[in-house]
Amino acid sequence: MRARLRGLWRSMPLRLAMLLVLLFTAVSLLSLAASYAVTQSSFEAAIRADLTQDMAGFRAAPNAQAVALLVEAESRETDPNRLILSYVAPNGRIYGNGAIARDDEGWHIVSLDAVRAEYSGAYLSLTDTLYGGLLTIARSRAEITALGDVFLNILLVSLLPTVLVALGGGLILARRSKRHVEVVGRALDAMTTGDLGARVQIGPRWSDDLRQIGGKLNQMAGAQERSVAALRQVSSDIAHDLKTPIQRVAVHLDDLAQQVDEASDAGQLVTKAQAELDGIASVFQSLLQLAQVEAGSPKARFVPVDLDALCRTMVEVFEPSAAEGGHTLVYDARDARMTVLGDGALLGQLLSNLIENALRHTPAGSTVRVALEQIDGSPRLSVTDNGVGIPSHERAAVLQRLYRLDRSRHTAGNGLGLSLVEAVAKLHSAGLTLEDAGPGLRVVVEFDREQAPLARPS
Amino acid sequence: MKLLVVEDDATTGAYVARGLREEGHSVDLVADGRDGLIAATSNSYDVLIVDRMLPQVDGLTLIKTLRAAGNTTPTLFLTALGDVEDRIAGLNAGADDYLVKPFIFGELSARVAALARRPQALEAETVLRTQDLEVNLITRQVTRAGVEIDLLPREFALLEHLLRRKGRVQTRTMLLEAVWDISFDPMTNVVETHISRLRAKIDRPFDEALIETVRGAGYRIKP
Repeated sequence: MRARLRGLWRSMPLRLAMLLVLLFTAVSLLSLAASYAVTQSSFEAAIRADLTQDMAGFRAAPNAQAVALLVEAESRETDPNRLILSYVAPNGRIYGNGAIARDDEGWHIVSLDAVRAEYSGAYLSLTDTLYGGLLTIARSRAEITALGDVFLNILLVSLLPTVLVALGGGLILARRSKRHVEVVGRALDAMTTGDLGARVQIGPRWSDDLRQIGGKLNQMAGAQERSVAALRQVSSDIAHDLKTPIQRVAVHLDDLAQQVDEASDAGQLVTKAQAELDGIASVFQSLLQLAQVEAGSPKARFVPVDLDALCRTMVEVFEPSAAEGGHTLVYDARDARMTVLGDGALLGQLLSNLIENALRHTPAGSTVRVALEQIDGSPRLSVTDNGVGIPSHERAAVLQRLYRLDRSRHTAGNGLGLSLVEAVAKLHSAGLTLEDAGPGLRVVVEFDREQAPLARPS
Repeated sequence: MKLLVVEDDATTGAYVARGLREEGHSVDLVADGRDGLIAATSNSYDVLIVDRMLPQVDGLTLIKTLRAAGNTTPTLFLTALGDVEDRIAGLNAGADDYLVKPFIFGELSARVAALARRPQALEAETVLRTQDLEVNLITRQVTRAGVEIDLLPREFALLEHLLRRKGRVQTRTMLLEAVWDISFDPMTNVVETHISRLRAKIDRPFDEALIETVRGAGYRIKP
């Protein structure tokens, strides 16, 4: 679950959505802050204008007595929380619904009753001398303060749905595009493992860019499939055109062998020619097979192959020949019961080639050890001999087609065995390494962990 | 047996036909797929030998057409390519066995013989015998002239395979396929060494050798 979430988080659409949310929030905040500032200052200006107007009204009174009366009358009807009037008459008497007091902490507006309770809240005030007295008019700023709350509410009401919609949409888009990308990925996987007929199944609701990528991939796969088909046709034609004459030569040699005495010089020549022809046919067949394996064999034909049983059979098949050549061939099953998805015949040939190589290139008395073990859950097949090994600078070269070490020129084999091993390993996504077994050579075929499922995936 | 060979290469066709005739079979040889189809449908053959690449109608189509028409005559498919894909194509089309070119006559002859007997092969026997050799398939006891012989499991399987087909040649590739389930041909003489081990136990301590080598073909056990 966490991994899935992390995967989604990394997806492009979700990231875009998050970025948009952030941008939108920032822009909304900025514009709201600006309009808040403008509204606030215009509110303040309005209050100040009101104050000036109030002051002008009182100034219209003819004398201090009249001002005091007016203030008294007016303040009786006003809420001190909204408007405070305070007139300090020339005789020192205070009229109105509040007084301006001052203490150590600064200016306060207090009530005129005995308690002298302080009016809380912010006020804007205007003070002027009037007929020897001091008139103060203060209007509450409560409306401006309330304005802040209103703007905050606006912010929440407008932002929250936007964020939710963007996030939700991003998630849905991310999941959808993830699904689509997975479809492309699966098709690519199938193609790279040899299923050349695999295509990206482009859905009707795919986005244009993905649709284009899918289309191009399908074009590429089509071209690839056609060229492989052409290669197949060519190799099939070559095989037919070359094998027919080889077959004829074999026929003629066989006829000749019937006519001459096997022990005679002519008979010996015929036998030699037959052996050479077998060699030609074998190299030719190996090259054909190599080309076919490298062109990729459909994974659809892969079945679970029991590596342990395969090793057992191959070691058993070769054991008498090994013994005859003075070799010891052993199977070392450190961790039996290992299954890989693969082509049983090709894997058998891989192992057979490795065993034959080891037997062929080591002197009598050598030991060839086939081992199967599990390393970090990956099956590891190795064939180790204690012969002279291969010099490190020649190890890569021996995998090349028809390459033969100088000292092996006169032994049997056509130099294609290891090339086929490499091609078969590659077909099974297995790694092939040649190591120094000190002394001797160790060839390791390491299968993918994913190649070793407990049950065949549906 | 009455056999039909459909092969467009004159040299190979004549060679196969001559060899099979020398073995006492009656052989019809045609050089293209259409004639092959006509011959196969208008006569009754024991085994068909069909090349893959043929003029007019190719081998695969020929076999598919015959099978679609309900003709079940055992068919040996000759192919130049010999890769897995090709073999599967041949077997899927309805061929019973295949042989990769270039082949030697012994291999072809042994496979044709095996195909002809396929339907009635493998009776439910419990004891296989030839001369003084006896193999009990239940107790897995092997005796020759009353002397018990100890065989390894795969040696037993090899002997059983030969005995069930006593008198008939089994080639190296046939043995590899039947006994070890190996469909490729190792370059090492693996079959020879297994046979020689079996001989060491079955034949060497006794006067007469039962396992015969048929030159250019394979092995058989004397009936």
